[in-house]
Formats: sequence, structure tokens, C-alpha cells
Amino acid sequence: MYERPLDVLIVEDEVLLATELEFLLEEVGCHSVGLAMNSNEAVTMANDLRPDLALVDVHLQDGPTGVEVARTIHDKCGGVALFMTANVKRLPDDFAGACGVIGKPYSEHGVKSALSYLTICLREGQAPGLPPIGLTLAPAYAERWGVNVQPQAC
Amino acid sequence: MTDMSQSERAADQLAAEHGAGDPFAAAIRATRMAMIVTDARQSDNPIIFANDAFLALTGYAREEVIGRNCRFLQGPDTDPAQVDRIRKAIAESEDVAVDILNYRKDGTTFWNALYLSPVRGKAGEIAYFFASQLNVSDKKRVEFERDDIREQLEAAVAARTADLSQALEQKTALLHEVDHRVKNNLQLISSLLLLQNRRVTDPAVKSSLRGMLERVSAIATVHRRLFQSDDVERFDVSAFVRDLVGDMMGSARRDDIKVRLDLERIDVAASKAAPLALVISELFSNALRHGFPPESGTGGEIFVGINRKDSEFRIEIADTGVGVENSASSGGFGLTIVQLLCQQLKARSETTPADPGTRVVVYLPVNGVHH
Repeated sequence: MYERPLDVLIVEDEVLLATELEFLLEEVGCHSVGLAMNSNEAVTMANDLRPDLALVDVHLQDGPTGVEVARTIHDKCGGVALFMTANVKRLPDDFAGACGVIGKPYSEHGVKSALSYLTICLREGQAPGLPPIGLTLAPAYAERWGVNVQPQAC
Repeated sequence: MTDMSQSERAADQLAAEHGAGDPFAAAIRATRMAMIVTDARQSDNPIIFANDAFLALTGYAREEVIGRNCRFLQGPDTDPAQVDRIRKAIAESEDVAVDILNYRKDGTTFWNALYLSPVRGKAGEIAYFFASQLNVSDKKRVEFERDDIREQLEAAVAARTADLSQALEQKTALLHEVDHRVKNNLQLISSLLLLQNRRVTDPAVKSSLRGMLERVSAIATVHRRLFQSDDVERFDVSAFVRDLVGDMMGSARRDDIKVRLDLERIDVAASKAAPLALVISELFSNALRHGFPPESGTGGEIFVGINRKDSEFRIEIADTGVGVENSASSGGFGLTIVQLLCQQLKARSETTPADPGTRVVVYLPVNGVHH
């Protein structure tokens, strides 16, 4: 279903973070289609560019609008959102339709592992095992991708 | 006034039965406890006897009370519920004790601890009711004052609790905000280092930037761990080590190096989390980079062990690599950091050859001081 590189939209209001994230995306074989810094840009770009995956920060230039962006992408744009936020505890229980969350501060390796993992999940509709450290899946997607969601031993 | 004469006759009869020589009658007439007797056989149960104490308490003359039902003692602020209890007890011929607000002849009030009890005749029928009245106004006033004080206290406690809840809510919101900012700033610092690392080509500069990035990542991992747990005061060192090792090994991409962990759960104070994390990160990074230089092409094992022995935590990082003597540039900034932070943590570190490789053990006092 996704034989070409994954098209990824970055929704993030910190340009330096977004720039570094673009490099990471290219390194794991994804294709960055653009950067949105507020909710309007995000929804417009998601509509026009139809990315496979949108990396969404909760706090954008127009406030804590990332949750609604994720919901709109899920409901109307046919894409999959992934939160990247320092506010993991404040996400709604249903993840607003997003497939999961990477908590900030993330490491380079953490993001790369998560993106590689999600690429396989999206291409094959089946997870290659438990998610890597740093990535938490939404319950609905864990079920869809056949991940046995048990709390990770720590 | 046939009732009156009937009550007087009943009174006379009672007096005749209990004349001057009757010690019980004498006691009731003379006691300081107010007492009355009513005639249950007459309609409306009128008073047929009242002692002097009763007259003194209520302010009425004897002829004003004989022949009347005692309800003349009630007034506007008398609690109807208590009156009902008395009425019910009389109807069912039972004893009753109630505290009731009564009125004197002059209109002043007093709290009456009323005790009422039926008296049976020879055939077992209810002949009289006997009632005693005790003025408990003082006790009641104390009770009311106590109730007032309790209500005031309860209101004060409720107000204070609301204040504290609000303060806690604000504090929690503030904590979340600060946590959020710290995490975002750590992310920003990491991104800056990564971006610069992409630009530079000099291997020495790249290596320095890598080192700094690892240190920032270690602190970031600490921060993530601290706020993931419910207790922000304590830091789970072993959980941190698992995250750190997973991340470092993942980014090192050295499949020829195996990692073995033997981690007992130990908690340290949150204030020690960052320095201890930096020490462990530095030592693990040393083992990884200097124990197994990529150009040597040899792999091996890194062991991390954490346990508690008596009053010390023991943190061991051992590798089977080339050993201290053979490693290039194993000194430098990294080891300076370890030495300085051990000094800060009141910890001591021992580096010994492990044949092959190197073993470093950090001893950290459990309660902040060595014994």
C-alpha cells in the first residue's frame, strides 16, 4: 500500500526542531512534504498534500491546537497523525484519532526507531513487534496493528 | 368552672391520701426539682398538683396552674416536634424525656429538661401523669455556643480547604507548564547540537558535539523519567539505565557488542538524578567508544550492574574491550566530569583492569554520606 517513501507532514512551531526532524525523516527513508506552524496551515496542507503521516506537536503558534489538528487529519484528510509533545499526560484517551505519541524530549535514535516501526505498520497493516522505547501507541491502533498492549516492564 | 372544681376535688383527694405524715409526699413538696401531677382520668389531662419549685420556676401562682393542661408553658419558639413527642408518649402511656423551650408567666424563656411518666392505679389503668422539670438553660446555652463554634470552625476549615485546593491546582498547573518548557528547551538544545553536527566535518569537533549531545540526552532522559513516575521526588536509577543503554546502543549500531544488565531497583533523591545520570552516561559511553574503538574491529560485552550493599549503592560498568592502557584518549573531559560529579555526589569511583577490559565501580552513599 505504501511502496513509495512515506509522505510526512511536520506540524511544529519550533523551526529548529522541525528542521532537524526533516533530516531525520530523510535518513530513515521518509519524504518530508512540508512544515506547518499553526492549525490552519496544518489542515490546509494535510488536505492539499494528503500525507501518509503527520507529526503533530500539541502547542502550535495559535495555541494548544494540535489535538484538533490530529482529529481533523484523522476524520477528514485520510491521514494518520502521530503526536510529538512534551505534554503526553494531557492527551485525550482516544488520542484524537492519532496513532500514538512520541514524548519530548526524544532522542535521535528514538525518533528514527519509531518512524521505521510506523513505516512497517502503515505499509503492512501489522506491527513488527512491540513499539520501540519512546513510542506509545494509541489503543485503537495497537489493536489494529495486532500489538499486544501490555505495560512495558521498566 | 366545673373543671376547676373537679381538679380541686382530685387535688384534695390526692392530698388526703398523702397527708402530713407521708414522707414521700413531703419530699416532693419540698424538693428543689420542679414537679407536677396531672389527672389522666379528666379530659385534657389537667394539673392537679404542683410543688413550690415548679411555681418558682414558672412564676405562676398555684391557683393559676391547677386545672390547666401544661401546654400553657409553650410559646412561639417551642419546637412542635418536641411537643409531638410528649403528645405521643401520653397517648401511648409511655415515659418520655425531652428538652423543650418553655415560657414563664413574665414571657421569659427557659430550657426545660422534661421527664414525664404515667402512674397506674390499683386496677392497672393510667390514673396520673407525673412530670419533673429541670431548668437546663445554662447547659443549653453552652451547647448552642459549642454548636456555633463548631459551625464557625467547619466553615473556616471548608474555606481553608477550598483555598488550599485552589492553590494546589495552580501549583500543579504551574508544574506542568514548567515541565513542558524544560522538555521543549531540552529538545531545542538537542536539535541545535544535531544541526551543528551535520554542518561540521572536523572529526574532533564532531566527536565533541556527539559527547555533548549524549550528555544532554542523558539529562533529557532523566527529566522524562522523573515526570513519568507518580513520585517526582524519587528517581529510579535502573529504569533510567535501561532507557539510556537502549538509546546509546541503538544509535551506536554496534551489533558486535552485547550488553548485559543486572539491575536491582534503587531510588535516589531527584536532586541527585541529573549528576548520577551524567556519571553513568559518561562511563557507559567510555566503555562503548574507548573500550571498543571502531577501527579495532573487535566486539565484546559491556556489563552494567546496580545493587545495594549495606549503606552504599554499587554501580558497576565493565567492558571486555581493549583496556585502559590500550585505549586512545580515554582521559579528557569525560573523566573530568565523572570526577567532579562524584565529588558532588559524595561518591567514590574505582577503575581497575578487568582482564580483558576495564571495570569502573561507583559507590554512592545511600543517605548522602559515607559512614
